[in-house]
Amino acid sequence: MSLNECYTALEGNFDDVLGRLRSEKLVQKFVLKFLNDGSYDLLCRSLESGDYQEAFRASHTIKGVCQNLSFTKLYASSNKLTEALRSGWSEEAGPLVEEVKKDYQQTIGAIQELQKEAGA
Amino acid sequence: MKNKTTRFLSASIIIIFVLCVAVFSYLAYYMNRQSAETINEVGTIYMTGMSERISIHFRTTIELRLSQVDALVKTCPPEAYRGTEKKEFLIYNAKARDFDYLALCSKEGTFEMLYGDQISVTDPEPFFTSLSHNEKKVAVATDSKGNSLILLAVPALYMMNSGETSAALVAGIPSDYIKNLLALDEDNTLMYSHIIRKDGSFVIRSGDAYRENYFDRIRGFYDDDQLDHGEQCVEELAFAMENNQNYSNVLEIGDERRHIYCARLPFSEWYLVTIMPYGVLNDTMGQLNRQWGNMVILSCSLILFALLFVFVRYFQMTRQQLRDLEEARLAAVEASKAKSEFLSNMSHDIRTPMNAIVGMTAIATANIDNTKQVQNCLRKITLSSKNLLGLINDVLDMSKIESGKMTLNVDQVSLREVMESIVNIVQPQIKMKKQQFEVTIRDISEENVCCDSVRLNQILLNLLSNAIKFTAEGGRIRVDMYQELSPKGEEFIRNHIRVEDTGIGMSPEFKEKIFDSFTREDRTRVRKTEGTGLGMAITKYIVDAMEGTIEVQSEQGKGTEFHVILDMEKAAVHEMDMVLPLWNMLVVDDDQILCESTVSSLKEIGVDADWALDGESALEMVKKNHRTSKEYQIILLDWKLPGIDGIETARRINNSLKGEIPIILISAYDWNDIETEARAAGISGFIAKPLFKSTLFYGLRQYMDAVESVTEKPKEADKILEGAHILLAEDNELNWEIASELLSELGLQLDWAENGRICVDMFKQSPAGYYSAVLMDIRMPEMTGYEAARAIRALVREDADIPIIAMTADAFAEDIKRCLDCGMNAHVAKPIDVREVARLLEKYMK
Repeated sequence: MSLNECYTALEGNFDDVLGRLRSEKLVQKFVLKFLNDGSYDLLCRSLESGDYQEAFRASHTIKGVCQNLSFTKLYASSNKLTEALRSGWSEEAGPLVEEVKKDYQQTIGAIQELQKEAGA
Repeated sequence: MKNKTTRFLSASIIIIFVLCVAVFSYLAYYMNRQSAETINEVGTIYMTGMSERISIHFRTTIELRLSQVDALVKTCPPEAYRGTEKKEFLIYNAKARDFDYLALCSKEGTFEMLYGDQISVTDPEPFFTSLSHNEKKVAVATDSKGNSLILLAVPALYMMNSGETSAALVAGIPSDYIKNLLALDEDNTLMYSHIIRKDGSFVIRSGDAYRENYFDRIRGFYDDDQLDHGEQCVEELAFAMENNQNYSNVLEIGDERRHIYCARLPFSEWYLVTIMPYGVLNDTMGQLNRQWGNMVILSCSLILFALLFVFVRYFQMTRQQLRDLEEARLAAVEASKAKSEFLSNMSHDIRTPMNAIVGMTAIATANIDNTKQVQNCLRKITLSSKNLLGLINDVLDMSKIESGKMTLNVDQVSLREVMESIVNIVQPQIKMKKQQFEVTIRDISEENVCCDSVRLNQILLNLLSNAIKFTAEGGRIRVDMYQELSPKGEEFIRNHIRVEDTGIGMSPEFKEKIFDSFTREDRTRVRKTEGTGLGMAITKYIVDAMEGTIEVQSEQGKGTEFHVILDMEKAAVHEMDMVLPLWNMLVVDDDQILCESTVSSLKEIGVDADWALDGESALEMVKKNHRTSKEYQIILLDWKLPGIDGIETARRINNSLKGEIPIILISAYDWNDIETEARAAGISGFIAKPLFKSTLFYGLRQYMDAVESVTEKPKEADKILEGAHILLAEDNELNWEIASELLSELGLQLDWAENGRICVDMFKQSPAGYYSAVLMDIRMPEMTGYEAARAIRALVREDADIPIIAMTADAFAEDIKRCLDCGMNAHVAKPIDVREVARLLEKYMK
C-alpha cells in the first residue's frame, strides 16, 4: 500500500499535505507517528471520567493534528466534536464521539496497513 | 354633451344678468320715489309750521295795531270829540303811535281824513260790510302817490264834519311795515311768502313777483305745453281758498321744484302763500340719488362679476373633468389594444419554439439510430426549450407583478459574485455576436450588501441581454458600477449601475413607453428580435420594489444607456482581513478610471501599484524599474489594449526580463478562449473583471508563492531568520515535530515547551534577547496559550515585548481577537503554513 493509497483509504487529502510538507518521506514519517499520538487515548479517558474540559482539549488536539496531516475525514468529525464540547457536555456530543471513534479506527486501520508494508 | 352644458350655462348667465339688472333698477326707482315723497312730507310739515308761525305773527301784529287804534278811541272818547281842539289831540296821539294815516269813516263809505294823503280802498266791499256790522277790520288802500297802505278800522261813533255819525276810526300803516315785520321777504332764508286775496290778487308782494295776480304768476311759471299743470294748480288753490282749507302742493317747474303752502289770515279776506324752492334740497336729493344709483350699479356689477367668475370656473372644471375622462378612456383603450396585440404576438412567439420542439422530436424519433442527427435535433430542442422557458418566465413574472404578488427576498449578497455570474452568463452571447465588452467598477466600498440577489441578477440580465440583442455585431457594450454615500443614512450605500451600448437605440416616443407592459417597438428591425416585451416592465417593477430609480437615455442609431440607482443596506458581515505582502505592482489598462480604482483597491489590501494606459508605456516602466528597489513583483495586464495588445505586451516583457515576473491577464472575456495563446506568451494567470477588492485578493493570493521564489526577497528574509532562536509552545508531540521539521528549513533554532507554564519558565530562564519570537499554541494543559502570553507580557524584562504569534486550529474572529487582547502580536491558523509563519516572523522580528 502506497502512501497515496493510504490517504485514499483514510479519506484524506494527499496533494494538500504533500504541498505543505513537500516530501513524501516526511509525510510518511509523520503519518506513522500518528499511531503513537496519545490524544485519542486522552479523549477516551477523559470522556469516561467525565472531564469534559480535558476531552475538549484532546479533541481539539486531534483536530489540529488532522489539519497538519490533512486527514480530512477525521478532521471533520473531530472538529464537530470540538465545537460540541467547547462549553461542556452537550446532547449532540454523544453521536459525535461515536463518529470520531469510527473515523479514528478507519484512519488507524489505514495507517497500520501502511506500517505493515513499510516495516516489511 | 359639451354644447348642452355650454348652452345651459350661457342661458343661465343671461337670465341672471337680466334679473339682477331689473331688481336693482326697480330698487333704485322705488327708493328714489320714496325719498321724494318723504321730502314732500317733510316740506309740508315744515311749511305748515312756518306759515302758522307767520299767521300768528300777523295776528299779533294786527291785534297790537288794532288795540292801538282802540286806545286812540279810548283816550279821545266820541262824547268829547267836539271841535278842532279835540281833533288835534286825536291826530297828535295817532302820529305818536306811528300811523301814516288817520280818518273817520261813515257807514256809507265816506272818509273824513284827519291827516295823511288821500286814499282809495282797494277792495272796499267786504271792508264796508264789516264796518256796518261794527267789526274790527283790516284792508288795503292806495294813496295818491301809489304807496300801499294797510288800513285798520275800529268801530267808533264820532261826529263827522258832515254832521253824520262815523262808523269807524281808520288808521293806516305802510304795507312795507307788515312785510318787514313778518319777514315775508327775508333774503337769508330759502322761503318767501305772499299775501293774496281769494281772486289771486296780491295784498303784499315779495321776492321777484311782478304780476298783479298770483294765479297769473303760477300760470306764468309753465311753458305753453304744460299749461294744464298751472291751470290745475290754480283751480285747486282757488277751491281750497273758497272752502277755507289749507293747501299744500309741489310745483315742478322745468327741472326746479317749488313747494307752496296756502293758509287763511285772520281779520281779513287774505291768504298767506309760502313758497319754498327745492333747488338746494333738490341738489342734495339728486346727489343722494346719484350715489344711490352708483352704489346700485356697483353692487350689481360686483354680484354679476362674482357670478360670472363662479360660472367660468365651474365651466372650466367641468371641461377639465371631461378631458381627463377622455384621456383615461383613451389610455384604457390603448392598454387593452396593447394587451390583445401582445397576446397575438405571444401566441405566435410561443408557437414557434413549440413547433420546433415537436418537429425536432419527430425527426429524432424517425432517425433514432442516426446518433449525429439525434444530437443535432436535441441541441435544437434545447435551444427552443430555453427560449420558450424564457418567454413563459417573463409572462409568469408579469402576471405575478400585475397581481401584486411579487415580493423581495432580501439576503446578504456579494456584489462581486453577482457581477461575476452576470459576466459569465453573458459571455457566450457576446462572443457569438463578436461584440466588445467592458466591465468597470470603481469606488466600491461595500462589496457585501443586503438585496434580493435573484432580482438584482434579473435586472442586470434584462439590461445586458437587451443591450446584446439590440447591438449589431462588433458593437460595444459597457457595464459600469460604482458606489457613493446614500441619502438614506449610514447603514445604506447607493449603488449606480450603468449599462451602455452602441446599438440601434430607441425613438423618443418609444422611450416614453419603454417601461410599460406589453410594448415592443414596432419596427421591422425589431420584429425579427424575439422577446415578450415584458423585460423592461419587469425590470422597472423590480427597481421600484427596491425603492430605486431607473433612467434611460437613447438616440436612434447611436445607442442606449440605462442608469439604475439602488440604495442597499450594508451587510453586517465580518470581512476577512485581506492583506497581501508589500508588493510593487503595475496595472495596465486603457481605462484610466479602472486603473485608478484598481490601484486604490490594491492599496487597501497592502499593495503599492502604478498604472499605465497602454502596452508601450507599461514596457518602459517595467524596464526602468527592473533591478531597482521599485521592481514590480506582479503585473496586471488588460487583454484589449490600444496599440500592442495585452498578449503581445506580455511577450515583450517576458523577453526582456526572461520571465522573472508573473503577468496576470485581466479581462471581461472568457479566459478559456484565450488561455492557450496567453500561456504561450508567458502569462501566468487570469483574473476576471470586474476587479473588486476581494477579486484582486483571491486572485493574487495564489501568486504569493511564485513571487517569493522568484524575487530575491526571501534570501534577505532568510538572513533575518537564519539561526534565530524560537520558542515553540505545543502540547502535542506530533504537531511539534511537524512544526519543527517545517520551520527548521528556514534556518530557525527551535526549542520545545510542552505547555504554557514550561514555555513561561523557559523564557524566564533564558538570557535577555536569546529568543527572537514565541510561537504559541492556545489549547494546552496546565496553562493555556492565552495565560502564557499574559504571563510573558507581565514579566519585568527588557524583552518582555517579544513577538508572540498564536498558532491554533480555531480561526474564528473572536479567537483571533482574544489572542490580540492577551498581548499576542498575530495569529496563524493551522495547518501550519511555513510561508505565512515566515512572513509574520519577518514582520515582527527586529
